[in-house]
Amino acid sequence: MTQTADIVIVGAGAAGLAFAWAAVAPNIKVVVLEAGGHVNQRVAPSLASDWELALQTTFNANPNLRRGVADYPVDDSESVIRPAIFNAVGGSTIRWGAHFPRLRPSDFRKRTLDGVAADWPVSYKDLEPFYDLNDEIMGVSGLAGDPGNPPRATRSCPPLPLCPATRRLAAAYDRLGWHWWPSDAAILSRARGTRGACNNCGPCGVGCPRHARASADIAYLGVAQAQGVELRSGAVVTKLERLGHDITDVHYVDANGPARLSCGEVVMAGNALGNARLLTGIIDNPLFGCGLMLHPTAIVTGLFKQNQQSWRGAFASALVSQEFYESDESRGFIGGLQLQALRGQGPLTTALGGYGLRLPWGQRHKEDFVARFGHSLSLTVTCDDLPEGPNRIALHATQTDRHGLPVPRMIYRVGENSQKMLDYGIKRASEALREAGARQIAINPLVRNGGFHLMGTARMGVDDQAGVTDARGRVHGMNNLSVVDASTFVTAAAVNPTPTLQAIALRAGTAMRDGKITQRAIA
Amino acid sequence: MTGRLTALLDTLLPGDGGDWPAAGAHGLAVHAARLADDMPGGAEAMAGVLDALPKGFVDLPQLRREEFLHEIEAQDAARFDAVITAAYNAYYTDPAIRDIIERLTGYPNRPPQPEGYVLDPFDESLLDAVKARGPIWRLVD
Ligand SMILES: Cc1cc2nc3c(=O)[nH]c(=O)nc-3n(C[C@H](O)[C@H](O)[C@H](O)COP(=O)(O)OP(=O)(O)OC[C@H]3O[C@@H](n4cnc5c(N)ncnc54)[C@H](O)[C@@H]3O)c2cc1C
Ligand code: SF4
Repeated sequence: MTQTADIVIVGAGAAGLAFAWAAVAPNIKVVVLEAGGHVNQRVAPSLASDWELALQTTFNANPNLRRGVADYPVDDSESVIRPAIFNAVGGSTIRWGAHFPRLRPSDFRKRTLDGVAADWPVSYKDLEPFYDLNDEIMGVSGLAGDPGNPPRATRSCPPLPLCPATRRLAAAYDRLGWHWWPSDAAILSRARGTRGACNNCGPCGVGCPRHARASADIAYLGVAQAQGVELRSGAVVTKLERLGHDITDVHYVDANGPARLSCGEVVMAGNALGNARLLTGIIDNPLFGCGLMLHPTAIVTGLFKQNQQSWRGAFASALVSQEFYESDESRGFIGGLQLQALRGQGPLTTALGGYGLRLPWGQRHKEDFVARFGHSLSLTVTCDDLPEGPNRIALHATQTDRHGLPVPRMIYRVGENSQKMLDYGIKRASEALREAGARQIAINPLVRNGGFHLMGTARMGVDDQAGVTDARGRVHGMNNLSVVDASTFVTAAAVNPTPTLQAIALRAGTAMRDGKITQRAIA
Repeated sequence: MTGRLTALLDTLLPGDGGDWPAAGAHGLAVHAARLADDMPGGAEAMAGVLDALPKGFVDLPQLRREEFLHEIEAQDAARFDAVITAAYNAYYTDPAIRDIIERLTGYPNRPPQPEGYVLDPFDESLLDAVKARGPIWRLVD
């Protein structure tokens, strides 16, 4: 097996595989090192009756509870929100909801428009072609023409349908005069190649046996490998070797023991937690690690009198309201929020609460279960978090994982602005659900298990005063090191990050491929 | 121990005298204990809660048992949480309980896949009102 590569990518998740596909060329050797193994979604837990148990074990989003072979511990003792990531070929998209919104143009200009945070060194226009390209590869269902966003190309398949509960919600939004639109979802509503159409089964989070839901492995790996990308799975990167302003070698451990790969370019796509373990001490910019943004999320659940059979349909991808998305000073906070509809869950997850509140035990339990199961519809209040000083990812001074890598620490509290936004969003979500006919509202004011969007700890900026990387993810002050995932986000926006982080990765990969590689591996 | 666990489950998930059986009386003690064993720290949590039950717990009326359990829960919420999870796990994955759920709610007692549910087409006419309200995003340079 070759021990040199022009480009070594750390992490085969949403960003890493998109980057690999874009960067590879006949004369450019690309190797992706991924700590985890392959997940065969054709045999997903949803093919068995007790599938909900998998959400607590092999598909638990919290690595500290899942404890799989590729998982490393995360110290979350100083964070009000716990980590939610997945370590495998495909990364966290193995576990995701496939809700696929884009940032708005204003999200890239927060300093100019709202006087907070900073402007991104890229604009919506710069990313637009890469959003389009990524949509095509992932396979997106949805509908062009959303008045909440700039015009965009026809989606590759029509939107997923509304269900009885989301139809009620849409009608309520209309009566309130609020924006709503069917979600862009990285889920096929029509079959394409080897991927089947969604059959509305519900639990996308345990993998999709039809491959209707895109994950990075399903959408990108095959096409990347066909172009020559080499994936080494079960390969945990343990060290980057630095000489002056270059990374010369990447050390990793796989089933055959320790190995070393001499590299031209090193591209970090391990997400903010994974990257921190390898880059601390390599990147000396004081901004590195700081300004962690997490999208603090509240969940407001409406309970309807009639059974809505709300367990049917993709759990997280139905419709959104972006009525309160742009800043409006009169609301008392800066930035805005998205209300994303979540369908009901299976019986066990309903009893345990899922992202909402657990049903009480004891004599009231059955009554509450019958009132809730199939009768519920939830709204997430997803907040445009700000990059605030104390929120960061650091390393534990003494604790290490089984490979001797330091344990990352998530340090996060909800800032004052975000808290105001959450409070406001909870009121608006409750109003919408009541208007939709909910007779009871249950509020989870902060989803503790909601650390799915890890943004901002290696933010982009025009120079090393403004950011850790440049607009293409290249680390300022280093010759051959890049970061291409959501760590580079300058602001969080109020939408799920994956389309944007993949667009960033595609843009950076394309630039590297098109002659901007400064280094070549020395064989 | 099984008798105490059965009583504990019956208190957490009592029957309603109609459709729903109590979890312990339904014979779920062994299954719940096994599911607790599968959870990190679950076996210790289960043993701890069972140890904390007062003497004669099994013979107490439901309300009195609930009072004791609230006290035990308040002493160590995380430990109690693990026991509740094991109890709910056993109950809501049990085939006979799933039959009851199907009968009462229409949720089929089968896995979500491969059958799934019908995927109807999206009805675009629903969007007429929102389209008519026009764009709401901020233009930037
Ligand atoms: C439950 C859940 C629901 C979500 N729902 C949505 C959604 O609906 N919409 C959305 O936009 N986003 C969603 N997300 C977030 C989305 O999954 C992430 O934004 C996305 O996967 C991040 O991509 P990434 O490539 O940066 O990191 P990841 O996809 O997390 O991949 C990083 C990879 O790097 C590997 N790695 C790390 N360190 C090393 C090392 N030292 N050596 C080798 N490999 C390493 C890891 O094993 C991992 O596979 C969700 C996430 C979760 C957990
Ligand atoms: S709801 Fe659709 S996309 Fe989600 S797992 Fe089921 S078939 Fe796949």
